[in-house]
Amino acid sequence: MLPKIHYDENWTEKFLESLETNKGFGNWTTYNMALKAGKNRLVEEFHGLEATKHLPDLTIYPHQYETAQTVIDKMNGKAVLADEVGLGKTIEAGLILKEYMIRGLVSKVLILVPASLVTQWCRELNEKFFIPAIEQRKRPAWELVDITVTSIDTAKREPHASTIQDINYDFIIVDEAHKLKNKNTRNYQFVRSLKKKFCLLLTATPVQNRLSEVFHLISLLKPGYLGDETSFEEKYKEDHEQLNELIQKVMVRNRRSDSGMDWPKRHVQTVPITFTQEERNLYDEVSKLKHRYSKREESIGQGIAFTTLTLQREVCSSREAAYMTLKGLMEQYENETTIMEDLNQVAERINEVGTNSKAEKVLSIIKESNDKVIIFTEYRATQLYLQWFLGQHGIKSVPFRGGFKRSKKDWMKQLFRDHAQVLIATEAGGEGINLQFCHRMINYDLPWNPMRIEQRIGRIHRLGQEEDVQIYNFAVKDTIEDHILKLLYKKIGLFEGVIGKLDDILEKFTNNQFEEHVSNILLHSESEGEMRVKMDNLSSIIAK
Amino acid sequence: MNQLEIHEYLKEFFIENNSEILDESPGHLHVQLSIEMDKALMNRPFYWHYIEKMNGVPNPMKLTLITDRDSVNEDLKGELIHFGSPRLHQIFDTATGLGSHVLLYESVNTNGFTKPLKPWIILNGVISYRSNHKKDHFFSIGLSLITGEMIHDIQSHIEYKNFTEQIPDYCFKMNPIIKPQSGLERIKKYIYEQLEEEDHQWAKVAVDQLKKDIALLETFYKDEEDKPETYFHEKEAIKEQYDPKIEISIINGGLFYFLNHPLSE
Repeated sequence: MLPKIHYDENWTEKFLESLETNKGFGNWTTYNMALKAGKNRLVEEFHGLEATKHLPDLTIYPHQYETAQTVIDKMNGKAVLADEVGLGKTIEAGLILKEYMIRGLVSKVLILVPASLVTQWCRELNEKFFIPAIEQRKRPAWELVDITVTSIDTAKREPHASTIQDINYDFIIVDEAHKLKNKNTRNYQFVRSLKKKFCLLLTATPVQNRLSEVFHLISLLKPGYLGDETSFEEKYKEDHEQLNELIQKVMVRNRRSDSGMDWPKRHVQTVPITFTQEERNLYDEVSKLKHRYSKREESIGQGIAFTTLTLQREVCSSREAAYMTLKGLMEQYENETTIMEDLNQVAERINEVGTNSKAEKVLSIIKESNDKVIIFTEYRATQLYLQWFLGQHGIKSVPFRGGFKRSKKDWMKQLFRDHAQVLIATEAGGEGINLQFCHRMINYDLPWNPMRIEQRIGRIHRLGQEEDVQIYNFAVKDTIEDHILKLLYKKIGLFEGVIGKLDDILEKFTNNQFEEHVSNILLHSESEGEMRVKMDNLSSIIAK
Repeated sequence: MNQLEIHEYLKEFFIENNSEILDESPGHLHVQLSIEMDKALMNRPFYWHYIEKMNGVPNPMKLTLITDRDSVNEDLKGELIHFGSPRLHQIFDTATGLGSHVLLYESVNTNGFTKPLKPWIILNGVISYRSNHKKDHFFSIGLSLITGEMIHDIQSHIEYKNFTEQIPDYCFKMNPIIKPQSGLERIKKYIYEQLEEEDHQWAKVAVDQLKKDIALLETFYKDEEDKPETYFHEKEAIKEQYDPKIEISIINGGLFYFLNHPLSE
């Protein structure tokens, strides 16, 4: 077959015009220089990477080079980049984009990233790749800018969304693409509505809870590749091997363990915390409540029992966190006398608590050296309390939350780097900040989703980290926290990153959320022995 | 291009464009830009607009380009320049513009004898084969406007010769029998003929992939009778991604007058 041929007549016309007017001619030297310039831009092979010749100062690791090559040669420029956190997905995406730009296959580019990362993406593309990316904030000029970086939240809003949908982008990159796992969200619909010629979806956690998440992600890239939704569920419920094979053709996933690099070590240390008598009393009071209500059949009973599980976790964090939930309960049941009596008991115990044992421990760890420390907590009330508490002891800290505006996030990160010793982040703040200048982390309380732990650790244990990483896991003795840590996370080797195959693990929970599993075990075990057995079962499924 | 070649190229470029080299070491060039080069490279149209409007004294900038960081003093401030740096590509663009077309005469000494110079058209360009991948093929073709003879890769035969913009003494131009425009047409036709004879396996691969992806798309939307807009978007995107095309573009070329046959030493 002979493809369509297009001949550029532009030159011919101008040349004939020059001949006629006898104007605009160069000389032998300029002729040769033009020719040299033109020849230097040629790319004479279909395959292989030209980009590296253009990036002499960029350190490219072998797994990044291979990824770029695989995506371009074998995946035709449509792929999920799913390296584990900290392996440099941005570099891989930059390399791929650069390659397409050098080859002239791509000129109009849209890069959708979390708000907190817009500036960072722009800077990296400009400085590391010489790609003139421009941030779009308040008054975007979508049509005029060739390489646009913006947040998905800005892009999906009108009037931007319609403008963007009409632009013929050659290349679309979506960072933190696991946010697109739910097909009913506006984010998903928006990305789906874009015309995707070449497209990269970046995520460290392609599967967080359900296998169907991967289906939706890949259907964004290549609709139909995994069939339609119904046939997908039926076909692959059992047959994971075939599914994996298919997925591997559109997804690259590098793991630390096989990146062949010399990583800084992770030193993981469990820090057992002993409650003060008052804290213990509070915890026991909540536990009593939990046992009482979890035996009741009616929905109010179950609802309260479930909340007491949350309360238990919160008590392990701070009385402030527990208080917020308790207050909510009291408002909800203000007309139920017996329930109110029980809740008042808890409130009294809260009032009796003076010292926060965990906070004291935090203080002593921070004071061990002048190095910076990141503290992760699940609760905003704890975050506020800790900031106040550290302040009382003359330690400067900055808060970090997912809800912060982009500019505030940048600013907080900078404050932390230049002026404060401690950063206190809540869960939602875990994503999208790179803090490799810090190598100590305290998990003040633990999330019940192993993927989120890996996300947390990935903030500091990533390319660019030069020191060994210290991770302190706090767990209060004889509480649910202790159970989760000892019976589950330690068993599966979570913190050491040795399993490194979290996605495989979570595949095993196709239909049930991992967190639900854990909650159920904790809520419905009659005895500690029963819970132990159930946790054992769970960890053996995981560790298989 | 390695760093040494880049250094040589830049030096030649600035000298050719009336920009004095103020200082030079093997690792850097310090250049006083000419007005034209300042306009072409420094991206400050407002300044030039202002100066020209006000009849001000133009003050073109100086530029320091570092081609080998290791061989220059650490304190030297300047732009690092390498094959990927935007500055080099800006200079390439400028150079391409300045040497796009020529009308040149072979530089010869006829020792007082009157000699005819024969016209040739020379065309340097690129054939780009593109689908979701792309590769370029360089061509340099010469065509005699007297005999219609065509020479491949003519550039490699003439690059060591010399040409001037003025016709050498005692020489006269032979009138072309083939008009330049027809000459250009002949070259174009020739390229097309060559392309028809090639085996375009790459295009077959691309079309197969295109068909495969469209088929997947159809299964995905098979249950929807009124196809949603996304379906058409996706379909369009797949076509754009794989659809094989050949693009022929010209780097530069011109009308050359030769005393001797271009292939003769």
